[in-house]
Amino acid sequence: MNFAFSVQGLTKRYPHFHLGDLDLRLPEGQIMGLVGVNGAGKTTLLRILTGLALPDRGQVEVLGLPMPGQQVAVKRDLGFASEDMRLYRSRTLRWHMDLIARIYPGWDEAYASELLRRFDLRADQAVGGFSHGQRVKALLLLNLSRRPRLLLLDEPTTGLDPVARAEVLEALAEVLRDEQRSVLFSSHNTHDIEQLADTITFLHQGRIVASEEKERFLDLWRRIVCQGDAAFEQVDWPEVAAARRSGSLVELKVRRFDDGIRERLAAGGLAVQSVHPMSLEDIFVTTVRTGGAA
Amino acid sequence: MHSKPTSAQLLLSPNDGPPMYQQVVDQITMKVASGDWPPGAALPSIRELASTSQVSVITVKRAYQELERAGVIVTRQGLGSFVAESTDASRSLLQQEFERSLQAMLQAARRLDLSIPEIQQMLERERSTGD
Amino acid sequence: MNVGAIDIPMVRLLVAKDWKLFEKQLAAYVLAGMVALAFLGNAKPWSFYVGSLLLLIVLVAAACFSISTSLLVERKEQTLGFVMSLPVSPLDFYVAKLAGNLITFGVPFVVLSAGTVAVILLTPLPDGLLVFAVLVFGHVLLAYSVSLGVAMAVESEGWNTFVMIASMVLVNPFLMGIGQIPAITDHLQTDTIVLSAPALAILAAQALLSTGIVVLTGWVHCRKKSFY
Repeated sequence: MNFAFSVQGLTKRYPHFHLGDLDLRLPEGQIMGLVGVNGAGKTTLLRILTGLALPDRGQVEVLGLPMPGQQVAVKRDLGFASEDMRLYRSRTLRWHMDLIARIYPGWDEAYASELLRRFDLRADQAVGGFSHGQRVKALLLLNLSRRPRLLLLDEPTTGLDPVARAEVLEALAEVLRDEQRSVLFSSHNTHDIEQLADTITFLHQGRIVASEEKERFLDLWRRIVCQGDAAFEQVDWPEVAAARRSGSLVELKVRRFDDGIRERLAAGGLAVQSVHPMSLEDIFVTTVRTGGAA
Repeated sequence: MHSKPTSAQLLLSPNDGPPMYQQVVDQITMKVASGDWPPGAALPSIRELASTSQVSVITVKRAYQELERAGVIVTRQGLGSFVAESTDASRSLLQQEFERSLQAMLQAARRLDLSIPEIQQMLERERSTGD
Repeated sequence: MNVGAIDIPMVRLLVAKDWKLFEKQLAAYVLAGMVALAFLGNAKPWSFYVGSLLLLIVLVAAACFSISTSLLVERKEQTLGFVMSLPVSPLDFYVAKLAGNLITFGVPFVVLSAGTVAVILLTPLPDGLLVFAVLVFGHVLLAYSVSLGVAMAVESEGWNTFVMIASMVLVNPFLMGIGQIPAITDHLQTDTIVLSAPALAILAAQALLSTGIVVLTGWVHCRKKSFY
């Protein structure tokens, strides 16, 4: 299997932050969502993958080539847009499009024009006058129109209004069509990632606390509401990630649900009233609060 | 602006309702049951459907597996997926879904201590106002 | 450093991009420099004073502008990440910035130094002034190299501003210093051009130091751990 990227034993130390050891890889053709609160290390990881930052230790391979050694070859097939990346204020979007078109042979002008229309952007306007949303869309346009094999997006939907957000996700969905193209995108918001991602990786304080196929997360986790007076110690099982009580009502969040749990709960004096699927956000928050090990 | 729904597009919402893969399963079952996708018709590829419906590839893959297990669609190696020649399976899938809802309703009724005759009365009332 | 690995078309593209970003301002600097030369050529004490002062201001401004637009502003306005996400290596980036600066600063520098030489030789100004002028230009070049090197290697805006101003202001003590060397000052008011040993030594030191700093900067840059 080919990997869009793979990192092994990756560490990077800053004065107040430590990333690693990270082992992570993304099979080609997949979309991975990187979820973490601000400061979790998402941006650092993305920067290392693009060669903008060098790791202290560890192996990094992107599109099958070692980084940062082969970064020029890698970056020819790479798209990268991050929240803190800016275009030249005094120049128009058209100027930027021409610059990119000269650098990347894969530039698709027809697709660029289509995105221009769909994103409602003006090519002849100086980028300095763009709103945050327009800036994000402009960067995305410059990246998508060259059809990179791996697209790295740092918080692409942060701070966007709902309409712009929908447009961005719509444009990203087009990448799904091609089985050789992969996307890694980060967000502190699971909603943005949930829709399109095949795999979800939770990053917290520089460590991976969980990385799974999205459907597995959704399959494995359940919120169980039960009734009974049994003490929590009775359900102190490894699969119970969180428990709380209100009177006779007990709510359990379980990370590996199976039907056997009902019986075990009943045996412990807790009658299961209802079992609910959990949202990714709830799974993420619960995972982080319990200190990982999803 | 209304985007013209192509037949290879499902109308899904990430914000409400059942999980996405369940929505995919439900809508394909409905399309098959209604004849939108007749028996033997080729289904869109997983990536195509994912892209047009803006849902992840893995979700569509999972829904296709579920539909195949239920007998609504068949997958031929290297050729893709097709609607099963008999629509019995999609009917039975809808039947299963109905039974699930019925069980949930009965459970709620038990909590309210509603008797079966009381439920029947409610159904009668529903029928007379519903038409 | 593997010099063979430099992507020439990419470097050319980056240089062209930087040139486009401030061609207008550069034209203005050259124009202002011409005005300074006109004052200088007038050969009256007051206009010589105004001209040489204006010339120095223009040179220093062009140097600071070129460095800050191509390097400091790129970092501050966060366009550096955009450039580095393009298929360039740190070496390509360094070479492009160096070449870009050599052009953006080099053009006004060469035009104005050639103009100064011409003005000294062709007007009633004593030709002996030439050696003095060349040494001043040498100092500006050295100060420029130092500022450029620091701007490439150090991210702190405070240090960059300090180095830029300090290195340029040092032209003042430098002038006083060479004013103390009889071998250089003796011929200042005459029409004979004498390249004395001390003058040659200073000139050689300036050239060597400038080159050394540029090479060292490249070496440091390619060993950096972050480029954003």
